[in-house]
Amino acid sequence: MKLPRWFHRFGSAPYVYGLAGLLSPWVGGIAVLLIAAGTYGGLVLAPADYLQGDSFRIIYIHVPSAYVSMMAYVILAVAAAIGFIWRLKLAHAVAVSIAPIGASFTFLALATGAIWGKPTWGTFWQWTDPRIMFELLLLFLYLGYMALRAAFEDRDKADRVSAILGVVGVVNVPIIHYSVIWWNSLHQGPTIARLDGPTITLDMLAPLLIMIAGFTFCFAWLLLSRLQGEIVRREYATRWLRELLAGSPG
Amino acid sequence: MHVFLTITGRDLKLAFRRWSEFANPLLFFVVVTSLFPLALSPEQALLQSVGAGVLWVAALLSSLLALEGLFRGDVEDGSMEQILLSPAPFGIVVIAKIAAHWLVSGIPLIVLVPVVAMSFQLPTAALATLAAALLLAMPTLSVLSAIGAALTVSLRSGGSIIGLLVLPLCAPMLIFGTRATDMAANGEAVAAPLYLLAALAVFAVSLGPLAVAAALRVGLE
Amino acid sequence: MTPRRRRMVLVGLVLAGIVVSAALALRAFQLNLQYFFSPTQVAEGEVADARNFRLGGMVLEESVVREEGSLTVSFVVTDYLHSVPVEYTGVLPDLFQEGKGVVTLGRMEPSGRFVAEQVLAKHDENYMPPEVAEALEQAREREQL
Repeated sequence: MKLPRWFHRFGSAPYVYGLAGLLSPWVGGIAVLLIAAGTYGGLVLAPADYLQGDSFRIIYIHVPSAYVSMMAYVILAVAAAIGFIWRLKLAHAVAVSIAPIGASFTFLALATGAIWGKPTWGTFWQWTDPRIMFELLLLFLYLGYMALRAAFEDRDKADRVSAILGVVGVVNVPIIHYSVIWWNSLHQGPTIARLDGPTITLDMLAPLLIMIAGFTFCFAWLLLSRLQGEIVRREYATRWLRELLAGSPG
Repeated sequence: MHVFLTITGRDLKLAFRRWSEFANPLLFFVVVTSLFPLALSPEQALLQSVGAGVLWVAALLSSLLALEGLFRGDVEDGSMEQILLSPAPFGIVVIAKIAAHWLVSGIPLIVLVPVVAMSFQLPTAALATLAAALLLAMPTLSVLSAIGAALTVSLRSGGSIIGLLVLPLCAPMLIFGTRATDMAANGEAVAAPLYLLAALAVFAVSLGPLAVAAALRVGLE
Repeated sequence: MTPRRRRMVLVGLVLAGIVVSAALALRAFQLNLQYFFSPTQVAEGEVADARNFRLGGMVLEESVVREEGSLTVSFVVTDYLHSVPVEYTGVLPDLFQEGKGVVTLGRMEPSGRFVAEQVLAKHDENYMPPEVAEALEQAREREQL
């Protein structure tokens, strides 16, 4: 199997570095706007829930961060697989850059879930709830991925070995997603992604979707800046980077 | 098939020559499990309620001990490289090595666990289920251990990090295993968690060796 | 075997393994693999006596009785086929309401009463403003008339 030709441009570090620099302010700007709009919509415009009152509003952080935590892992695994199969160093750089971001969003999802759980369920943490357990496993996968990388001195080897772990761990993502359907547990079922349409009224749903988009852009923004840093770390000895840095003011 | 038998036979022979390597984890298992009644309290009700969990966690931890040596010896003396260069299909070699590991570390544990379980006063009704659950869980554990060992094979000391990688992945197995044991101790139907353990085992055995083979190839580069 | 055929066999075996494991998992989910037991399962004796387990279901309407001067509450958990009376001493979660889901951890007493150590509210996946909930409720009542 061969990669399409246009893809090979993404193998060139100067090109990707420049592209990331070009995109990053736009992506960051959109993220800020969307999150601001979503926050206003979620905290002010959306009505209180008939049952949970105002405490349901944590959904506007909890759901987007949980969504991003899983999406980030899938991207990590795909990037790692591309890097492994086609020996594309920049794909590895993407995977490396994602890991800490994904871990942070996973932690955020777990923490907001715990805060939400106390007033609604009556408990911060339920050891036997599959959704919580597999999300925790996701956090451990991110941390294990980072720990495994840190153990290698040779970056090339770290790339290729950690890529395998990344791909193995992707099994967990569908399990997280379907856990609330497979097990009838404490965690409620899906609200948005269901066959018979969302079970949330539009004035509550709209800010949520805006927040999900905002978190996605925020993730992309963080990824772009981390990717730039990772490229600098990897290419610090190359001529193009020195010239670029020498040319820039400061 | 010939390759499979040769490699398994060779690994078994090696294991029996250096019997301390596979005896140590078993001894560790016995020692750890006997510490719990000493530390907690020998109260029968308490031991019964924590018994299943303690046995499973101790079994997991003890299997970590044997794990580092799974590929290390072969890589260090160069025989793994020879195998990789030989025309023998590498995937089968990997499966053979995992099978040997399972025979040496898994089977004795399955024999040992019910005996220790009796010292925790688990009801005899649960012992058969406990053994069956372990039997179903051990292939998964062997595959996961092999993945951890293969990922860290080129590290000088992989010991601490292997646990970090392997133990979280073992969590689902642990949940279903203890659940089955617990349900059996209470006289309930245990088929569901056992089916899930079997599903995990088949899944791990069919996909895991690919990851192990890939990791070993990278490790030997 | 040529390398190509060998690879085909390998892929086939891996796929077969995935199918078998999916079938086994499906079988497990068809059996009881629940986080909690329903009142019907309790009535049919699927739960062993004298052990802690989770009982889940709906809080029966107009069944919640608070004891004066203490935190003791009694209510009935039902799945609308069978029901189990529950007694609990402690603070209930905010979302605990009649007609809503609940998961309780505790054990059965010989008298057939379930004594709970922990009561958790299981809220559903529906979110709506109070007015909408009211409108839905009224519509349902009209239908029943």
